[in-house]
Amino acid sequence: MKKIMISGIIIMLLAPALYSQELTGEDIIQKVNELFNPQTSYGKAKMTIVTTSGSKRTFIYESWSKNRGEKNLVRYLEPSRVKGQAVLMLNHADDIWMFFPRTQRVRKLATHAKKQKMQGSDFSYEDMGSGDAFINDFSPKRLEDEKMEGNNCYKLELTRKQNSDISYSRLIMWVIKESFVPVVIDYYDEDDPALWLKRLVQSNIRVIDNIPTAMKIVMYNKNDNTQTELELLEVKYNVTLDDNMFTERGLKK
Amino acid sequence: MRRWISILVFFYFCLVPLSAQDKVELFGYFESQIMGAEIKGDFCQLYTNKLRVDLKSSISKNITFAANFDFITYHGKTKWDILDFLSPSITSTIPQGMESYYVIPFSNRTFLDNAYIKFSFKHFDLIVGKQQISLGTGYLWNPTDVFNIKDMLDPTYEQPGQNALRIDVALSSVYTLSVLYSPDDTWKNSAKMIQFKGRISHFDYSFIMIEKVWRFHDYRQFDTENMNFLELPEKRQLLGASTAGELLGLGVWTEYGYNKMEYSKDFYEFVVGADYTFDFQTYMIVEYYRNTLGKTNYEQYNINDWMRLFTAEQKAVARDQFYVLIEHPATDLLTLGLSSIYCLSDNSLALLPTLNYSLSENVEIIAYLNFNFGQEGTALGKNIGNGGLLRVRVYF
Repeated sequence: MKKIMISGIIIMLLAPALYSQELTGEDIIQKVNELFNPQTSYGKAKMTIVTTSGSKRTFIYESWSKNRGEKNLVRYLEPSRVKGQAVLMLNHADDIWMFFPRTQRVRKLATHAKKQKMQGSDFSYEDMGSGDAFINDFSPKRLEDEKMEGNNCYKLELTRKQNSDISYSRLIMWVIKESFVPVVIDYYDEDDPALWLKRLVQSNIRVIDNIPTAMKIVMYNKNDNTQTELELLEVKYNVTLDDNMFTERGLKK
Repeated sequence: MRRWISILVFFYFCLVPLSAQDKVELFGYFESQIMGAEIKGDFCQLYTNKLRVDLKSSISKNITFAANFDFITYHGKTKWDILDFLSPSITSTIPQGMESYYVIPFSNRTFLDNAYIKFSFKHFDLIVGKQQISLGTGYLWNPTDVFNIKDMLDPTYEQPGQNALRIDVALSSVYTLSVLYSPDDTWKNSAKMIQFKGRISHFDYSFIMIEKVWRFHDYRQFDTENMNFLELPEKRQLLGASTAGELLGLGVWTEYGYNKMEYSKDFYEFVVGADYTFDFQTYMIVEYYRNTLGKTNYEQYNINDWMRLFTAEQKAVARDQFYVLIEHPATDLLTLGLSSIYCLSDNSLALLPTLNYSLSENVEIIAYLNFNFGQEGTALGKNIGNGGLLRVRVYF
């Protein structure tokens, strides 16, 4: 009996470690993807761009997401220069429309526009609204676990799939073991897999509606020596969102 | 002076209390601009100051009120003689004694540009009042937009508001039906529009029918009663279609409008364009435009063609034109560009280097130069006047 109890305790103590060892790259990225793409979400964020000259540009926007990131709507609140401008992304950002309030014009953008910087920031539209990109565009490979930013992490290498048109040849991702939040993601050049372009760092993780959420996200641009900080001012998950929001009429609201 | 005092009083008593209310937003911009052109060896300049004040109020969950007032002052050369830009073969056709009428004046203006109420419901939106009407998918030219003509040098600039009643009905998440009525003095003379929009795969498409009276003028005859050139109103019925989507990784769009005219010869306009963003962030647009109202030989251009072009009554004097724009973010604050219009019908060319600089969060500087290389008398001839524009805009 004593022997069974000791065996049980050993199994209980080792289970998380054994479990984590059993997780494949696919398992981990699947969990990250689920975390990144809740069924519905609403957020209000402050985006601060630190330019090459050291000056700052601050934007505040609201965003809504539905169907696990398949539908996204972003609307700028500040500064006045872009107030009311909105971007609608459907089918995991394969269809993009942009609305300009002063001319009331809606422009359909092709997927190449995803490469453009979002309001001159270090985030491209692709970085912001690609939904299932980690799964659809990359093949994961689990590397040796590492400590990153003080967290015990799984380390993954995501290599671009052959039929994907995503702008990065590969990503290196450090995922916190307890929460599956990717604490750091390194982005590598589309043509040169050795050329490190950008680093994303997520911090200030809080659990909101049972979902661990990084309230501060910083993208460092290694090439241009610039950085963009995203601070989440408000986040809600599993909110009720009408499908009409994600139409041209909704875009013009 | 009294007018400006009145405006300030208006602001104080109307806008300030409104802005103090909940759900009322007050914003807009001030822009100061200098535009110049070389005319007969002189560099002539027109200075413009424009204050745009926007007001937006959510009266209830389903009702929004929005308006904007524009206050514009002009300084410098405020009277531009069109004949200065035309070749002697055209100016020699002007009837004697009428030369002084071909002047476009720029007078200080204060006006209500847009003012509308929007009722939003689950299945439809209703907009009543002066509003922006933007039609078509073209970047520089829009064959289906009979309400506006874009400035070829500044195609993204806002257009004047149009008095209209518009309903957008959602037939599904993909299909929309829009109906617009823009009243004139009689039902017969009022503009009517019906548009159906849909989507197939990654392509948006629309079909549109518009009826509108086209009030163009005969610039060879003067109407002494109205002290203007003789107006020649004519009913125009447009049947058009447009698409926008993606093909082989390029953004592509087309737009077509067939115009059935009451008296004149029918004509059509057609646009096809493509754009692409390269990995190194350079953005490029190409667009081809055909307008069968335009002419194929520049020796056929007459004073009516030129005046209708300069007064924005028609979009082009020449039949076929080609446009290219290349833009590159030189730094995170500075975007440099070069655009070019090539007129295939008369082999004339214009080049426009452009600059856009973000001086601070709400201050931007826009500048462009324009150089024309066509021979005298062509659509983009040297005699049109090389020049440029410098604009500083502050948003609040």
